[in-house]
Amino acid sequence: MSTRSTPLSETSATTPTAPDRSSRYSRQTLFAGIGPAGQERLTRARVLIVGCGALGTNLANLLARAGVGYLRIADRDFVEENNLQRQTLFEEDDATKGMPKAVAAARRIGHINSQVTVDAHTTDVTAENIEDLLDGADLALDGTDNFETRYLLNDACLKMNIPWIYSGVIASYGVSMPILPHETACLRCVFPTRPLPGTTPTCDTAGVLNGIVSVVTGMTATEAIKLLVGATDRLARGMTWIDLWENTHERLELPRMDDCPACGRGEYAYLDAALDENGVSLCGRNAVQVRPQQAMRGSELDLAALAERLAPVGEVASNGFLLRLRVDGYEVMIFPDARAIIKGTDDPAVARTVYARYVGA
Amino acid sequence: MAILSVEQAVSVKLPTALLEHAANQQAIFVPSGTIREVIDALEERFPGMRFHLCLEVGELRPFVNIFLNGVNIRYLQGLDTPAPAGASLLIVPSVAGG
Repeated sequence: MSTRSTPLSETSATTPTAPDRSSRYSRQTLFAGIGPAGQERLTRARVLIVGCGALGTNLANLLARAGVGYLRIADRDFVEENNLQRQTLFEEDDATKGMPKAVAAARRIGHINSQVTVDAHTTDVTAENIEDLLDGADLALDGTDNFETRYLLNDACLKMNIPWIYSGVIASYGVSMPILPHETACLRCVFPTRPLPGTTPTCDTAGVLNGIVSVVTGMTATEAIKLLVGATDRLARGMTWIDLWENTHERLELPRMDDCPACGRGEYAYLDAALDENGVSLCGRNAVQVRPQQAMRGSELDLAALAERLAPVGEVASNGFLLRLRVDGYEVMIFPDARAIIKGTDDPAVARTVYARYVGA
Repeated sequence: MAILSVEQAVSVKLPTALLEHAANQQAIFVPSGTIREVIDALEERFPGMRFHLCLEVGELRPFVNIFLNGVNIRYLQGLDTPAPAGASLLIVPSVAGG
């Protein structure tokens, strides 16, 4: 491709010495559906990405390169080697250091497009904080790997009237479904009740091909761009379902259900539910997340002091963002918000015991 | 089972996750009837299939959707919806991964 080609957009033609934003995005402003006006809208847009794994990194990558001006990324997890096959913003070094995903993604996006502001949150997304995370967002994108968070996101977006896009991938298939509050079917119109954890296959149990991640996030990012530039007439309404292994592609009609408890009756059961006092959730295979007890929530741990205290009991490493303790055959990742992910068990009671022993009651 | 012609049959397309329970046949042809009868026919051919689609009480699992010619049967008559000869059914589970 020639580097001497002249950008054809209107802005660059009239202001050749201005910061060369039009040149940077020329290949998408040339596309009539976006144009210079659409690009300006993207620059001013604010998007929340909930979860920064396979879906989240690919979506953040596409939107940052497309020039979406502000990305808020929330994720509770840290980078591991088995993420690198499909989580495109991460590198081997991030896995070696066990970097928090939101932080590693923000750093990488800073190198990809320094014009984008990234607001990284290493946090569990809960009923307590989701409305703050959504505050000011034009759009939310689902990068989660569980239905607990998706049903919460559905409730919060309906309540705050913010569009969001459900994406999901597993094995060789995936779905993308834009949700315009009170206009199109919401998640509960389609799937009325949240599947219980452990009742549906996950990427940890059934695996996932990186190609389906690219396809689904390519569709979702394009739907996001349509929404952000105001091309809602072009939106792929309903659910798009693709299976790359079986070579199938379906567009499914999903009308709104008038008696939907969430978007029909305004009952936000998942948003209103009190946090599970037990504070323990399965977090992939052979790992359990433990949240601090109510009394400790909102407090910030002094990781340096904790590292000193734990040094005599096990192998402690810190990357400045979290502590890693290896002890008794467990790997305990401790975050500043006093959450911990305990690897080496599927048993919540065991995880709670390990947490109490090393982090606190 | 009598051999069905395509015109007499309902085609059922299964998601990848269920193929292993159906001898890896992605498209299955069963006699026309209500969706409940279609599921009975699937169970007869592939014992255990009903468990993946329905709760013990017989209702559709909340995270399983069945589309009749592209329309969700929840918007029709649910499991009592008639699936006429020539119809196509697509079974779509919710997708959790990400």
